[in-house]
Amino acid sequence: MAVYKRGYQRYSGPLTGRWTRLLAFPRFAWRRMMDQRLVLIALMLSMLPVVVAMAMIYVGNRQDLWRGLGMGDAAKMLEINASFFLIWMNAQAAFAVILAALAGPGLVAPDLANGGLSLYFSRPQTPRDYAAARLIVLTGLLSLPTWIPAALLLLLQSSMAGWDWVAANWRLAPAILGGLMLWIFFVSLVALASSAWVKWRIIAGALILALFFVTAGAGQVINAVFRERWGLYLNPAVNMSNLWHAFLGLELPRDLEAWPSAVCLAAMTLVFGWALLRKLRAVEVVK
Amino acid sequence: MQSVVEIENLRVRLGRREILDGITCRLGASGTGRAIGLLGPNGAGKSTLIQTLLGFHAPHAGSARILGFDCHRQPREVRARLGYMPENDAFLADMTGVSFVRLMAEVSGVPSEAALEKAHEVLFHVGLGEARYRKVGTYSLGMKQMAKLAQAIVHGPELVILDEPTNGLDPSARARMIELIREMKQDHGMNVLLCSHLLGDVEQVCDEVVILKAGRIVHQTDLEAERHQNRRFVELEVSGDAPEFAESLREIGAEAMNEGGGRWRIVLPLDVELREIWRLAARHQLAIRKLTNRRDSLEEIFLKAVGHLPAAPASAPPREEVANGRL
Repeated sequence: MAVYKRGYQRYSGPLTGRWTRLLAFPRFAWRRMMDQRLVLIALMLSMLPVVVAMAMIYVGNRQDLWRGLGMGDAAKMLEINASFFLIWMNAQAAFAVILAALAGPGLVAPDLANGGLSLYFSRPQTPRDYAAARLIVLTGLLSLPTWIPAALLLLLQSSMAGWDWVAANWRLAPAILGGLMLWIFFVSLVALASSAWVKWRIIAGALILALFFVTAGAGQVINAVFRERWGLYLNPAVNMSNLWHAFLGLELPRDLEAWPSAVCLAAMTLVFGWALLRKLRAVEVVK
Repeated sequence: MQSVVEIENLRVRLGRREILDGITCRLGASGTGRAIGLLGPNGAGKSTLIQTLLGFHAPHAGSARILGFDCHRQPREVRARLGYMPENDAFLADMTGVSFVRLMAEVSGVPSEAALEKAHEVLFHVGLGEARYRKVGTYSLGMKQMAKLAQAIVHGPELVILDEPTNGLDPSARARMIELIREMKQDHGMNVLLCSHLLGDVEQVCDEVVILKAGRIVHQTDLEAERHQNRRFVELEVSGDAPEFAESLREIGAEAMNEGGGRWRIVLPLDVELREIWRLAARHQLAIRKLTNRRDSLEEIFLKAVGHLPAAPASAPPREEVANGRL
């Protein structure tokens, strides 16, 4: 029978579990996100470094090609190692920030502006569930240009370079995948917190970008005023880069250390997490 | 039979202000499909009470239970059983009506396929069938109200909390909304907690009424029982004075109170006709200057409860009974 002829009947069937309910958010949000042209363009642009890296891995492992061209030594310049992946990770990290600035504000700000939170929280959902669901949305999107292609690049390199390379570079996989996951989690959290505090999408997007530039600038100012280096620890990008260096077994630049970076990133994560949860209320209470 | 809402000495503070000050009541009966009206002047604590029932505020003392589940300690169990239509704008602007209602159904635990089916079904039910593929942000105020109602009932909750559902609706849309609420309780067995400033709406739909003032229940009544009492109230103004008039009124089964200056308030049984008053007045040589005959309306109950009208003789309850929320 057609729906319009049937009339309303109360639903009395089985109910889904907590995780199924939680995952309803990402399914709907991803669909809406993919309707945004700028997000799609940024996503496509972020695939360029992936294609370039794949080509370099392919060419770097085909020494017969170079020899055929009479450029036998050129292959050495294209050595696929930790430094190669670090450069690629830095490029993808920048795309992740841009994507977060484009897609993040559309996740929380409209719900706040239109009173949608009272609808979610009058259902079996808590602010933590909501935040987790929104993090899944954004980290899911940011996975596309980061750890997913990274895994493909590692697979490609492993299959082309053989077992010896895998044995010598086994720590690259957890370092790259873990490092990128940490970054997209942090960037997503920053984006959601900004979106929760600023209801206007464009301003929220600008704030996300500004947070990275402002902290970098503030760090430089502190360094210049106090003639120190610790100001760099205010910059989350520098901190993450330091952690990636440590994970990949590379020497840290500028005589910095990894553990203060880890502490600073953890502190920033707590602050942004607190800021996000503070705004996720079903009702605003004027005390 | 289990009450739908059980509140025991509930106190809620927001900041330093005590918004709800020791509320105790039992409302509705599970599975019966009753509507409970929540009334009160501005700042009485109606919204805070609703939000506490939804688990948005923690009680400072006491407890609130819905269908046997503690609103503060078991919020998931409580919220799984209710639907909520907030007073203010609440929607997801860039979603179509059907996506919005479907998402709300899925978040409530309805499986995806069933949620889609129910979303279509409920949107037709509330009159948004033709507009279900339009974005909710483009809806008129009345359509948004209906969309809010649709999302509140799409998962078939046992209790539906409606906060000012007829706000901003034109007369025909308001009548439609009232009709839908009546259908919810009569045809679908849902319990409804209706918070409204429009006493007419409450009177048309509700079986019970709770009146709040300054964070306390000042009146609780079963409208159904009130209607069955079928009392008629007469306000009478006569010239002259006859102390025996009161005795004569009592003889015909009426209750009367002389307010002085020739003004009387009389509660007349239904089987006594008005002309009896004319007859008695003539017998005692009293000239009737004014006679007003009416039922005790919800408006009068409300105004008396919030202290804007003196209590009528028959409905004036003993002080301690008012404090307990009983007529």
